[in-house]
Amino acid sequence: MLEIKNLHVEVNGNEILRGINLKVAPGETHAIMGPNGSGKSTLSHVLAGREGYTVTAGSVTFNGRSLLELAPEERAGEGVFLAFQYPIEIPGVNNVYMLKAALNGIRRYRGEKELTAVEFLKLVKARVKAIGLDDSLLNRPVNAGFSGGEKKRNEIFQMSVLEPRLAILDETDSGLDIDALKTVAEGVNTLRDQARSFVVITHYQRLLDYIVPDYVHVLAKGRIIKSGAKDLALELEARGYDWLSEEAAA
Amino acid sequence: MNGLARVAGAALAALEQAPHGERGALLTSLRHAAAARVRGQGLPTIAQEEWKYTSLAALDSASLRAAQSDDGAAVSVQQFAALDLSTASPLRVVLVNGRLRADLSTLKTLPRGLRVESLAALANSDPERLAGLVTADAGSGSTMHALNTALLGDGVLIETDAQVRIGETLHLIIINSEGGLLLNPRLLLRVARDSELRLVEEYVSVGPAAGLTNSVCEIVLASGGTLFHHRLQTEALTSNHVGRVAVVVGEHANYVSDSLAFGGQLTRIDIDVALAGRGARCRLHGLFVADGAQHIDHHTRVDHLVGDTHSVELYRGILDGRSRGVFNGKVIVARDAQQISAQQTSNNLLLSRQAEIDTKPELEIYADDVSCTHGATVGELDGSALFYLRSRGIAEKAARALLTYAFAQKIVDDIPLPGVRRWLENRFLGHTDSSQLQSALSQP
Repeated sequence: MLEIKNLHVEVNGNEILRGINLKVAPGETHAIMGPNGSGKSTLSHVLAGREGYTVTAGSVTFNGRSLLELAPEERAGEGVFLAFQYPIEIPGVNNVYMLKAALNGIRRYRGEKELTAVEFLKLVKARVKAIGLDDSLLNRPVNAGFSGGEKKRNEIFQMSVLEPRLAILDETDSGLDIDALKTVAEGVNTLRDQARSFVVITHYQRLLDYIVPDYVHVLAKGRIIKSGAKDLALELEARGYDWLSEEAAA
Repeated sequence: MNGLARVAGAALAALEQAPHGERGALLTSLRHAAAARVRGQGLPTIAQEEWKYTSLAALDSASLRAAQSDDGAAVSVQQFAALDLSTASPLRVVLVNGRLRADLSTLKTLPRGLRVESLAALANSDPERLAGLVTADAGSGSTMHALNTALLGDGVLIETDAQVRIGETLHLIIINSEGGLLLNPRLLLRVARDSELRLVEEYVSVGPAAGLTNSVCEIVLASGGTLFHHRLQTEALTSNHVGRVAVVVGEHANYVSDSLAFGGQLTRIDIDVALAGRGARCRLHGLFVADGAQHIDHHTRVDHLVGDTHSVELYRGILDGRSRGVFNGKVIVARDAQQISAQQTSNNLLLSRQAEIDTKPELEIYADDVSCTHGATVGELDGSALFYLRSRGIAEKAARALLTYAFAQKIVDDIPLPGVRRWLENRFLGHTDSSQLQSALSQP
């Protein structure tokens, strides 16, 4: 599904990613862990198509298409979704209106019929229930005045409506208390199936207690220095990242 | 060419040469004095500081004609019914080409405590009273106000009774039609003690109007009075518009203004508020949206004449194409007017490289115990918001439109006029899906 080969990325002339290789098959959940400044967020932004990053080498293919050549909205159309670490507040744009424009944008991209307002709202109401989102948030401007937990929940809610093929969760656990973390994780787990893949980017192991990954990768200084099964996360929690960096340097 | 200067000059000459008797002498001399001032000082030019960014020179090569009373008949009932207006209040006063049209208005069913009178009728029946109600000109300001006074044809006097809250919105619709008419509509509002009124002053065109509307609206709020004043400029893109709103706010009275300017080729709006009694306050909001070669200029002036007066001002401009916007906000705190607060913000969004905005706050403070702030921003759309929307699957063009709409939304949020929202949706979103969704969502 997703294949990243030897990806090198620069920001303002500084090389942040130095040769990432990663393969994600349908239905798999991969966790990417690593210390601050290792390039985790850069990776998520590059995959979603944010401007300001220069790919100097390597490739990213998604279901056979070269992802890097596509505009952000085209990537969404292909089925890529990024849950932001810091969801953007957009005063004046109604949450549910934005989501309808997004879903219909994606449907148009795929040559599918757009949903009417009534069909769309039926879908939204079902999803709101499943995610446990306070439905008063629906009619508010996108993320404006939301608490940290509400913002993250809103990201997962958007994901549940847009039904991506690949969801990248960028530090979705940051700033969440344990209850909010559990709700968000439950939301993600209800969306897991054999076709949909997840890349879960996190600094802490904590989230992975609730969203249990198939694979764990450690990113440091722009490279994946170790990959393993879910137990690797527990080892990282116990030992920190330093031993790995030393091991990689040795 | 029958440009502005020539047409105005001829109209003034006709006024001065008209025979006049004893009756209405006060009104006549007032108008003559105004005419003399226009003659003496001329129409505004860019040499004047107040008109530095807005030139009326193009109007001198226009083909204008001073409106006559029979131009008021130009718009039919059917044409009126077809207008896309901001609201459908049952309380309606309609002026066509400067003349009150009783047949399109609902003057006979006014609620208790509200009176509306034609100024042309008043000039006939009680010219002394009318002379006492109008301010001849704007003192040191532009001579456009004086021109309006000199060429006073018709307009309306609106009065509330003390301690009455008028529940319905009073919808004032000021229509221009035909080619190049010079129009001078005059509006006089008296909001009595402890009364409240909501007024929509909406300027629209029927047909290819390409003249100049030179309107003056004078408002006096007695103590404890409240006026919600929504002023809309949506005239044809071939029209020109100079409008002045002069407000005197009495003790503990509250003036709430929204000035929305979307139409016209050239628009200049002056809003002057004098906070004249303790506890007086005003809230001035504005939104202008321009494209192509449109030019929209807002000048506001708030005079804090006494202590304990408060003003809050927020203007937003959205400029595309080669359009130009001007915002000049002046706040003057009089000597010893202590414990006042004045806030002023001007935010502007430039959507093209050729668009231009001149924004200028001016503060003159002659007291020491005051709290005054001002800020101005000029920017493009927020890149991270744009990326966020696109990452959700919204195409770039649509995402830009949505964010532009959102920028305007801040101002229109508290304006209870469905037509304003509709207009912005049509302009930026290309459909009215948003309100459909809103209403569908609010149903159980």
